[in-house]
Amino acid sequence: MTVIVRIIDTDKIWQLTGVSGKTIREILKSIGLIIEEYVISRNGEIVSEDEIVGEDDYITLYPVVSGG
Amino acid sequence: MARCSICGKRAVYISRALAKGYCKKHFLEYFDRKVRRTIRKYRMFSEKETIIVAVSGGKDSLALLHYLVKLSKRVPGWTIKALLVDEGIRGYRETTIKDFLRVAGELGVEYRIVRFRDELGYTLDEIIEIGRRKKLPYHPCSYCGVFRRYLLNKAAREMGGTVIATAHNLDDVIQTYLMNIVKNSWEKIVRLGPVSGVTGHPRFVRKVKPFYEILEKESALYAVLNNLYPKFVECPYAQQSMRWYLRKHINKLEEMYPGTKYSMLRSLLRIIQLLEDKTDKIIEGEIRSCRICGEPASHDLCRACTYRLELGIMDENGNIIRDIDTGASGNQLSR
Repeated sequence: MTVIVRIIDTDKIWQLTGVSGKTIREILKSIGLIIEEYVISRNGEIVSEDEIVGEDDYITLYPVVSGG
Repeated sequence: MARCSICGKRAVYISRALAKGYCKKHFLEYFDRKVRRTIRKYRMFSEKETIIVAVSGGKDSLALLHYLVKLSKRVPGWTIKALLVDEGIRGYRETTIKDFLRVAGELGVEYRIVRFRDELGYTLDEIIEIGRRKKLPYHPCSYCGVFRRYLLNKAAREMGGTVIATAHNLDDVIQTYLMNIVKNSWEKIVRLGPVSGVTGHPRFVRKVKPFYEILEKESALYAVLNNLYPKFVECPYAQQSMRWYLRKHINKLEEMYPGTKYSMLRSLLRIIQLLEDKTDKIIEGEIRSCRICGEPASHDLCRACTYRLELGIMDENGNIIRDIDTGASGNQLSR
């Protein structure tokens, strides 16, 4: 099983294995992202960073930092 | 599953600082309550106003425009208009204008777009290149900030605006606070309150920040939940700024110590209060009118005219000097 994390409108994409059961907060931390900087969608639904990731989840991140 | 502290449904937002979770419905209620409280507490608007919403097409300003248009339905004396300043940043502003036009269309709001190229004779990209060639010591964001504020005030006044609402959020404000501590610019810190503006000048339109107590993440979430979130593009100049570094560090601090940002805002409000009766010592001189353009100025010339003279894009009578070689595609400007 693979969990995919992607920052919307960018080519920043991670394919992660063995992360099932971890929270989104833990996963983002492990790939070096700051939780404060993203709104999170899982399989098209907005969720909080404390959600536990399931098999084959697709996580989309909306950057909250303004573009300029 | 993280749950809403009010109804127990799945949470879309967790505030670790407040130790609370919110579902979509209760997040939107929390957001609305927070903004209305800010507007009331700082007496941002009266019953009759023409509110000019300064928009960039980014998520914060689209969220503010959406929010105020909705709120205005309950206040008969309010007229809402949007104003976008197009600096001319290639590969960036075109995209955000598209997003702005989509949302403005959906909301049916009256708007105006003013362009650096029309008003100053040059785009921001060209101005930055002219500045580089003349070895002027200014950062891209300095030109952008000065000219944007200048045109915003001027155009808002021409649109009959009684107040300008900007989408600065809590994160923006505390970043600016820290930047100005680093630069020892206390005259800028005293102006960082939720309502700003030189009231004593007839050409100055008062500015308010309804999202003053809203976190950047909250305003982004409001935009996503209301289908306003624009295509994500970054200003090509943003990463050259001190703000960009400070933002990362503040966000890391917030993650380690939830509540840091609220605490920094309280620190700012306290220092503004402490400095208030010492303003005379901090801000030098009276507010005047610029000798060239007549706009508000703290010296003989306003900052916008000072920059334009230094860049050589305007003469002493205020006329635009055109056709300066900026090296953009060949010898002459391609515009």
